[in-house]
Amino acid sequence: MSLDTRTKLAIYRHFAETGQRPSLQVVAESVGTDASKIREAYVRLRAHRVLVLEPDGISIRMAPPFSGVPTQHVVFINETRYFANCAWDSFGILAALHRAGRVQSRCEQSGEPLSLEIGLEGPPPCSWLFHCLVPAAKWWDDIVFT
Amino acid sequence: MLFFRSEERVREWCGAHGYPMRPLVTMYQLWTLATTWYSTRLQEDSRRPQPDEMRSIFAGLGLEGDFWDPQSDSFG
Repeated sequence: MSLDTRTKLAIYRHFAETGQRPSLQVVAESVGTDASKIREAYVRLRAHRVLVLEPDGISIRMAPPFSGVPTQHVVFINETRYFANCAWDSFGILAALHRAGRVQSRCEQSGEPLSLEIGLEGPPPCSWLFHCLVPAAKWWDDIVFT
Repeated sequence: MLFFRSEERVREWCGAHGYPMRPLVTMYQLWTLATTWYSTRLQEDSRRPQPDEMRSIFAGLGLEGDFWDPQSDSFG
């Protein structure tokens, strides 16, 4: 297995187990290599749109669907709390983990809270809507804004 | 990529910010997108859908047109 794949899996498994982003050092220890090599792998994974990094180049902002920073889109699976990058990714966390859970968010216009219990087969009948402002071809021009 | 309580709330939000209103996606459609995109994400051989795959996924949900075309340069 390549270094990039081992790095990706270490990151995603840490998010899955803890709900939080791993530090560079934690990933390096998990993979069993130097932090400098992990940093190089981060650059390649970013180029493949697997990661979004903070300006420091080592802190993980996004490993979609997981967010490395708190957001308004929160997913609970048992006692573990996850932050999602967007509404799509809040469903995506449950899909990636193949687990049932609860999505909490809000209506962006009114602030009305959304709380959805989602099973393995998806959400219950629900009249809420998803709106994406940015066209698909432009999503990664500024993925944080998207 | 945000949640809204209703189409009217989307319309208000777009109007308040001067944004164009885009196609609306139901919770069922969103769940299908999420599972298609992410269900293998923690696996060794996972990868993001390629443009032609994206087009097919969107079309299967009735999400068609330039807005959903990952290689379009016109957005209607």
